Amino acid sequence: MKQIAKMAVILTCLFHLSVPAVAADVNLSVAASLKEVINELSDRFAKQHPGVKFVNNYGASGALSKQIENGAPSDIFIAANLEWMDYLKNIKLIDSASITTFTYNTLVFAGAPGKASAMQDLIKLDRIAIGSPKSVPAGEYAMEAFKKAGLDKQLGKKLVMAKDVRECLMYAERGEVDGAFVYRTDALLGKQAKILFTVPQELYSRVTYPMALTATGRKNSYAATFFTYLHGDEAASVLARYGFAAR
Amino acid sequence: MIFSSTDYDAIRLSVQVAITATLVSLPVGFGVAYLITFVRFRGKVLLEVLVNLPLTLPPVVVGYLLLLLLGRNGWLGSLLNTAGIRIIFTLKAAVIASAIVGFPLLVRSLRIGMEGIDPQLINASRTLGARWHDTLLTVILPLSAPGLVAGSSLMFARSLGEFGATIIVAGNIPGVTQTIPLAIYEYASSPTSETMALSLCIVSVAISLVVLFLHEVMAKKMARKE
Repeated sequence: MKQIAKMAVILTCLFHLSVPAVAADVNLSVAASLKEVINELSDRFAKQHPGVKFVNNYGASGALSKQIENGAPSDIFIAANLEWMDYLKNIKLIDSASITTFTYNTLVFAGAPGKASAMQDLIKLDRIAIGSPKSVPAGEYAMEAFKKAGLDKQLGKKLVMAKDVRECLMYAERGEVDGAFVYRTDALLGKQAKILFTVPQELYSRVTYPMALTATGRKNSYAATFFTYLHGDEAASVLARYGFAAR
Repeated sequence: MIFSSTDYDAIRLSVQVAITATLVSLPVGFGVAYLITFVRFRGKVLLEVLVNLPLTLPPVVVGYLLLLLLGRNGWLGSLLNTAGIRIIFTLKAAVIASAIVGFPLLVRSLRIGMEGIDPQLINASRTLGARWHDTLLTVILPLSAPGLVAGSSLMFARSLGEFGATIIVAGNIPGVTQTIPLAIYEYASSPTSETMALSLCIVSVAISLVVLFLHEVMAKKMARKE
């Protein structure tokens, strides 16, 4: 009997250890391409506001919106296209009044130097990495560009689908693919892979990062303060340093 | 259920990979099981551990090690590359990954089958003048058939479900290397493709049921023969 009681106490303790929700937690769901920027901004903010703890979740915007839909803790959502923000807005999980644009980006093709210098050269390549267009905005932009350039049929079976834009970059970095469609800011982080060409803007819609407070984030005062901070000058200078376009 | 052409491809590729991986592994698995069961040699424990290793390793580890080995910059990969052979991000990689992950299951079942063979039968064949390979082909092989069936179906089923190692080495190329688990994974990370993910899950369950059912039927038939 005593042992059972002991076990119960231990189990209760373990259970409580695994429950993370403290009032000062700010949960971020952020497009993978913003990883460095948001890591730096949340670190800076946490230094200025002791007691705030950030839980940063990076991934494909589509995957993140699915997590939020299924109840994952999230106070602020930053996506890499409008589609997934609208999706959450339509099912009322986003404070729609708070939706604003965080920043912009451009799509490039990155890989080992000399592989390609324009869209038409892609046909000669063997393996090209893009984000899975079902959930990765960078992949959707790339598919849009293929269709507009009339290349989608020829490229069909060369496309390796990555789970987010950073996995795309990694494939190109390791040389497992001839090149990858990533954002300019991702390619700037590459060591082996270099920007081979920039995708002409008329081929795809402008890469826009909308950000918003979620329905739960609206009630979290720290999240709201951080959200305002993301609109500020400090955020703008960090964005610029990582090569993001001014908003 | 309305599948796109790449979904049909995924179903076909899954079956193709599982069949190829099983067929390729069968002779090797049979040889290894024979060695472990009937032959005494130094380092046997080491062989046993090595064979069982993929069973306990996370498939992602298997995949990553394969990538390091067979990748463009890997020592075997760069060698093959100069010979014009490409493994990573092709169906060959999916077969290799499935074969490695499923191999321990095959060997295990084969060993159980071989250990069940009456040693007197083997001794009798030897005293009657059969060479070791005659004994192997005419006594051991037919008598380990139940183990062969059990091992192949287990391995086939395991290969159908292989995900962790496959996604790393075979990538996720719709119509080329995207098998059912990879297609489900892709659908499952998109909020708008829930029904598609579910439909492929149903296909996956159906194939597994057919395999297990066939296995039972064949095992029953063999038991009756004996």
